[in-house]
Amino acid sequence: MEPATTTAPMQTDSPTESNSICNWWPSWRPTSMSLLKTTESKILACIQNDLWARFVTLSNQDRIWTLTVTNKTVRKPAEQAPKTPLVMVHGFGGGVGLWIRNLDALSRSRPVYAFDLLGFGRSSRPAFPSDAAKAEEQFVDSIEQWRQSVGLENMILLGHSLGGYLATSYAIQYPSRVSHLILVDPWGFPERPKSQTQTQDDEGQAKRQSPPRWVKAIASVVSLFNPLAVIRAAGPWGPGLVNRFRPDFKRKFEDLFEDDTMTQYIYHCNAQTPSGEVGFRAMAESLGWAKKPMLERVSQLPPSMPVTMLYGAQSWVDSSSGDRVEQIRGQAHTRVLLINEASHHVYADQPEEFNRVVNKICKTVN
Amino acid sequence: MFPLDAPWNISFAGCGFLGIYHVGVASCLLDQAPFLVKHARHIYGASAGALTATTLVSEVCLGETGASIIQVAKEARKRFLGPMHPSFNLVKIVRHMLRRNLPNDCHHQASGRLGISLTRVTDGENVLVSQFNNKEELVQACICSAYIPVYCGLIPPTLQGVRYVDGGISDNLPQYELKNTITVSPFSGESDICPRDTSTNIHELRFTNTSIQFTLTNLYRVSRALFPPDPAVMKAMCKQGYKDALHFLKRNGLFNVNGPYKDRPLLANEEESEDYDEEEDDNKSEEEDKSHAEAKSVVFYTTSSTEEHIIECLPPKLHKALVEACMERRSLAQSLGNTLPVRMASAMMLPYTLPLESAMSLTLRLLEWLPDVQEDVGWIREQIMKVLQHVLRQTSKSISRNVSARLLCQLELHHYQALPSHFSSTNLFPAWVNGSGSPVQDVFGRLDHYKKQLLSGVLCINMNLQGSFKTRVMSPDNSPPPSLPPEGLTMHKIPTLEKL
Repeated sequence: MEPATTTAPMQTDSPTESNSICNWWPSWRPTSMSLLKTTESKILACIQNDLWARFVTLSNQDRIWTLTVTNKTVRKPAEQAPKTPLVMVHGFGGGVGLWIRNLDALSRSRPVYAFDLLGFGRSSRPAFPSDAAKAEEQFVDSIEQWRQSVGLENMILLGHSLGGYLATSYAIQYPSRVSHLILVDPWGFPERPKSQTQTQDDEGQAKRQSPPRWVKAIASVVSLFNPLAVIRAAGPWGPGLVNRFRPDFKRKFEDLFEDDTMTQYIYHCNAQTPSGEVGFRAMAESLGWAKKPMLERVSQLPPSMPVTMLYGAQSWVDSSSGDRVEQIRGQAHTRVLLINEASHHVYADQPEEFNRVVNKICKTVN
Repeated sequence: MFPLDAPWNISFAGCGFLGIYHVGVASCLLDQAPFLVKHARHIYGASAGALTATTLVSEVCLGETGASIIQVAKEARKRFLGPMHPSFNLVKIVRHMLRRNLPNDCHHQASGRLGISLTRVTDGENVLVSQFNNKEELVQACICSAYIPVYCGLIPPTLQGVRYVDGGISDNLPQYELKNTITVSPFSGESDICPRDTSTNIHELRFTNTSIQFTLTNLYRVSRALFPPDPAVMKAMCKQGYKDALHFLKRNGLFNVNGPYKDRPLLANEEESEDYDEEEDDNKSEEEDKSHAEAKSVVFYTTSSTEEHIIECLPPKLHKALVEACMERRSLAQSLGNTLPVRMASAMMLPYTLPLESAMSLTLRLLEWLPDVQEDVGWIREQIMKVLQHVLRQTSKSISRNVSARLLCQLELHHYQALPSHFSSTNLFPAWVNGSGSPVQDVFGRLDHYKKQLLSGVLCINMNLQGSFKTRVMSPDNSPPPSLPPEGLTMHKIPTLEKL
């Protein structure tokens, strides 16, 4: 008994000791969870409706940072049937803070839930398997467990970019929980045009369809690293790097924050230990194609589930995959909408239009 | 639908040799929606974009511009090290071509309409130049905007007495933030007119306002911006530009504004262009075939949706000019020079030929530089003086910091040594303290003097300590206490702290 009790504290001590050394030693990256917390709280201070922010603990002890926004003024739950809540899933490298221009407007008629995906933002950052299917499973599992912990029966699921991919995957596995699937500029739908290259070869048009070899070599070297390794490696220059190469984030939110709160938020979200991006890397191949593209799987969605796909007209995400989905599933329950003058971050570029469209979709549910 | 009720602008991104893409875009805009160019309030450009913008504003034939760009690229590819070869003088070639192509009164059309993005050397700020007094000034503005430091040379050129370098460094896509600016960029991203890669990569970065998505093809394009590709690839890029611009017009409902009669001559064009292609194919050697395949691959990778019902091809004039520019007159000597053993030999001879050629081109450059020597040398001297001053200031600052830090250490040591001896003396020999008080006071006075001179309030803690000492030394003079308890020490400290 005694040796066991003595060794146990020893084991727990060692990590704290190394931690304290880490804390004492000036960090190469000027970031930490607490810095992320303060930056996020600056952003969340803009919310006017009732905001409840907390960690939701899953059964495997992972914690999911969750926001619930409910309308302050209308509070008549007894008179009406409770409305289906809207759940928002952010994209790669993002967090709940990016929805700041939408949370208030969307929460007017129904409760809105937004959470940091597992491995992103303030949520736990566990290790992800390197297998595409398993990584996807871990993400989807975390969403399902989150739903159970929060206690939602069903929801309107909205996913942006990577969140759109995961939301679709979730809807395939747990169709009964999703009343309406809204995909905003979703990632990972089209197949890699390998098959097309082959057909081209058959036609004998051109034999060498790929870019030069050295470009591929660079790409393969790049793909050895985590997608956001550059930001971490840049250390103290990281925030400046984000500011320099993503000034659009600052501009999108400049009517809310005059300083670089938003780019700081992005930096702190992404400079932490890599986790979600490892999962993303497992699911993607050769600079961003999905290993298991969704277009192959959308047919597994129940045909009666309504799906709306929102695309930014100027986004680099090709809305043609939306049209493909429409073809595959039939037009009865699938709609593709383009939002003008919006880039990939549709919700931040055209918040009024985005909120109007999403509210309209929500109203069709109840 | 693009809002045409408000005034609009067109902005061309800087992109080095990919400027050929802009030529394709511009020719499409002129062909299919000429009002869009004619009534644009401003046409902006940075670096290579500035060249196309200048061409558009001064209504020069786009075919000539395209041919010029391809010729420059061919010139750059001629040598073993490509554009890095010392005898390749980009600035000279571009200046020559601009002077040749631009009409003499181009500055009248350009002033007020054309905006060229420049980076001021002194502070790195972006400057949009839109007033030009003569043709030479316009040419010089284009040169400045395309002057990539180190790549083009070391001494930045002047415009109206101010030194400028490449506009792409500070703002590669001028005025992109205005809603009614049509942005044109050869890099796949979120510009209005840009190639649409079929990739779904999530990473995107903004290089001084130009949105560049992280894809394989873009990686290739970026590499080709400074090291030009084969002429056939460049022609394909031009075509791509035409196609993307057409796509933009169609998407925004600007395509049929001119009326559908445009379709018929275009059909004829296609046949014609196919003829050209065939001609080209006939002339092809093995190597060119390869590059053509590369070109096709670029096109193939970038077109996401082929629009069959709209004919996409360059206008015959531009096409002809490009084809002629791409055509290489194959003499016997050249074809000999392209065989493997000769190329191997020339590569192996490089260590010997390179210094010779460098020396030659260096003397040539020096000769060309002669008229500007005085001005440039003056500028260099100025810069060196500035750097020296900066370095001097930095070192003096760090030295003074070092000295003050060392003095600080000494000060603390003094206090430390003085403390215990003083305690014992006050406790045991109160009368002796009166006598020794003055030297101690003297030491502190001197230290205080030092501190005022050197430390100017660096150490607050130290000052407090000293305050407590002072009072203790002073107190025996007024009313000598038999012994000094530690509480007394702190009690005395408080008023002196307030004094401080």
